[in-house]
Amino acid sequence: MNSQQPLLEGRDVYKFFGGLAAVNGVDFAVYPGEIVGLIGPNGSGKTTLFDCLTRLQTIDKGQIFFKGQEITRVRPYQVARMGLARTFQVIRVYRKMTVLENMLISRQWRGEGLLNMLRPSHPDTERRARHLIQFLQLEHLTDELAGHLSGGQRRLLEIGMALMPDPDILLLDEATSGINPTLIEIIKDRIRTLNREQGKTFLLIEHNINFIADLCSRVYVLNFGEKLAEGTPEEIMENEAVIEAYFGA
Amino acid sequence: MSTLTQAARPSLLRRWGGLLLWLLLLALLAIYPYTGVTGSALFTATQVFVLVTLASNWNLIGGMTGYVDFGHAVFFGLGAYSMGILVTRVPLAFSPELSFWQALPLAGLVAALFALIIGLPTLRLKGPYFSIAMLGTFVAMREIIRILRPITGGGTGLDLPPVLNRVNEYYFMLGLMGLVVALIWWIRRSEFGYTLIAIREDEIGAEMRGINTTMHKIIAFMIAAFFTGIVGAFWAWQNTYIDPDVVFIEQRTVEMVMMSMLGGLGTVWGPPLGAVVIYFLQDVVWGNLLNFHLMALGILLILLVLFLPEGILGSLGDPSSTSLGRLLRRAGRRQE
Ligand SMILES: Nc1ncnc2c1ncn2[C@@H]1O[C@H](COP(=O)(O)OP(=O)(O)OP(=O)(O)O)[C@@H](O)[C@H]1O
Ligand SMILES: [Mg+2]
Repeated sequence: MNSQQPLLEGRDVYKFFGGLAAVNGVDFAVYPGEIVGLIGPNGSGKTTLFDCLTRLQTIDKGQIFFKGQEITRVRPYQVARMGLARTFQVIRVYRKMTVLENMLISRQWRGEGLLNMLRPSHPDTERRARHLIQFLQLEHLTDELAGHLSGGQRRLLEIGMALMPDPDILLLDEATSGINPTLIEIIKDRIRTLNREQGKTFLLIEHNINFIADLCSRVYVLNFGEKLAEGTPEEIMENEAVIEAYFGA
Repeated sequence: MSTLTQAARPSLLRRWGGLLLWLLLLALLAIYPYTGVTGSALFTATQVFVLVTLASNWNLIGGMTGYVDFGHAVFFGLGAYSMGILVTRVPLAFSPELSFWQALPLAGLVAALFALIIGLPTLRLKGPYFSIAMLGTFVAMREIIRILRPITGGGTGLDLPPVLNRVNEYYFMLGLMGLVVALIWWIRRSEFGYTLIAIREDEIGAEMRGINTTMHKIIAFMIAAFFTGIVGAFWAWQNTYIDPDVVFIEQRTVEMVMMSMLGGLGTVWGPPLGAVVIYFLQDVVWGNLLNFHLMALGILLILLVLFLPEGILGSLGDPSSTSLGRLLRRAGRRQE
């Protein structure tokens, strides 16, 4: 179905922790404009695969491509500047900064000289930050320290920080865990809007299967670091091997 | 509180108040020598300026960037020795014999260059590993200076020509302190300052969001080393004599750390405040009990860690203040 070049691609990716193959020869591709799901039982290597694709982890074998360019050895900040943003399963916010400051410092960086950086943030950056804070319904917390937010609020903030640089692809690692159902619906709606109206590409790790089924056109299933299945949500949910991996034999 | 925002436009006083107060204080201090004070009072004030400058510099890398440097006095020592070597006739082919003002920037540059060289490997280390690597660097450098006898005079040390007088010294350090604290104030409210705090709070998060963390850490480290080197160079000149045992003393680093901690790690005004408080504690409270001096410093350190971990400004609610424990614990956060 896809004659296009993938936006983000992993070829034959291996990642070992000691003797454990956390990612075991996975081929993986996300095309521009897609919303792709990544599911699998606990410990199946989803987060590790994210870490490999975003260069947080150095892979032991294989290649990673982003926008047709090999990034296997590129520094993570450079990958981010190319237009990739992600959130983390274990939330990473700057706790001693306010919500607004967290957003401002997550802006698009372009390798500006230090002299430029000796200024406060640009008003346009702040406008965007405030807009996104509103979009995520965090307005009342704008000047609160991130360390004082609840787990769910921090997750929303992290999504905001990922949106801040206007990336081409967003990788969300369990973005809905710990978030209340109404807000999950809102996030779902936002993802769909960003995808349809701005052509943003998404890669989602989720345990919430409804979320995946509602949003994704394609799903990858990992099990013990290997790709177990790949297909539409409907195909995946009927796949014998997947059912067995999830519910055990 | 400083803020990163422009569109919000907090009142002018809030944005510039800190700097204005600082300039006012500097102006007052500039009059001090004309109030008929003795040379020894000026000398005391100069020592306080030295400590404020050192603490503020240490805070840039230790408090704001979160890299707790337990060997920062190495830059002081390099500055002092650069000055000593450049202004005395060392029996070497290149023996330059520069003036104080010519040697001064070079001393800072030597320290900054060394920060670049040593920072590239050590700033990769997290938490206590960095601290210990820098402590090792400090001890090693002292021995290197001792061994390089032909250049450094080894254990015998170097004598510098006495030139500055008390008033000159006072104004020099006042200016340097004024510059350094104003620079830190400026950095803290700039995007660069915020990236440093971001690195301190979550380095991986910062890197993954497009911040070139290595470069920012190195620059912060080099700035902190540069001015520490300048202070060391000044100190060498003021003291007119240097040897490894008076220049490379651990206590100098301990003081930088403690002053920053007492005032509030990562804040702009905490380290200067801490420096003043600790100087007068040392001078007034236990100045007479010379033998207990270091012990008292140690006890103060323990009390600080236990009861005032985020320092004076931290306990007054400055949100950028953090604790030493928090910074050192980050070692475990390398990857999750
Ligand atoms: N830094 C690490 N060091 C050692 N082992 C690790 C590390 N990170 C992950 N692992 C191991 O790799 C395997 C895959 O972990 P990973 O976090 O990728 O799973 P996951 O699919 O994201 O699971 P979950 O759904 O629980 O988040 C696990 O067995 C885990 O113990
Ligand atoms: Mg995971």
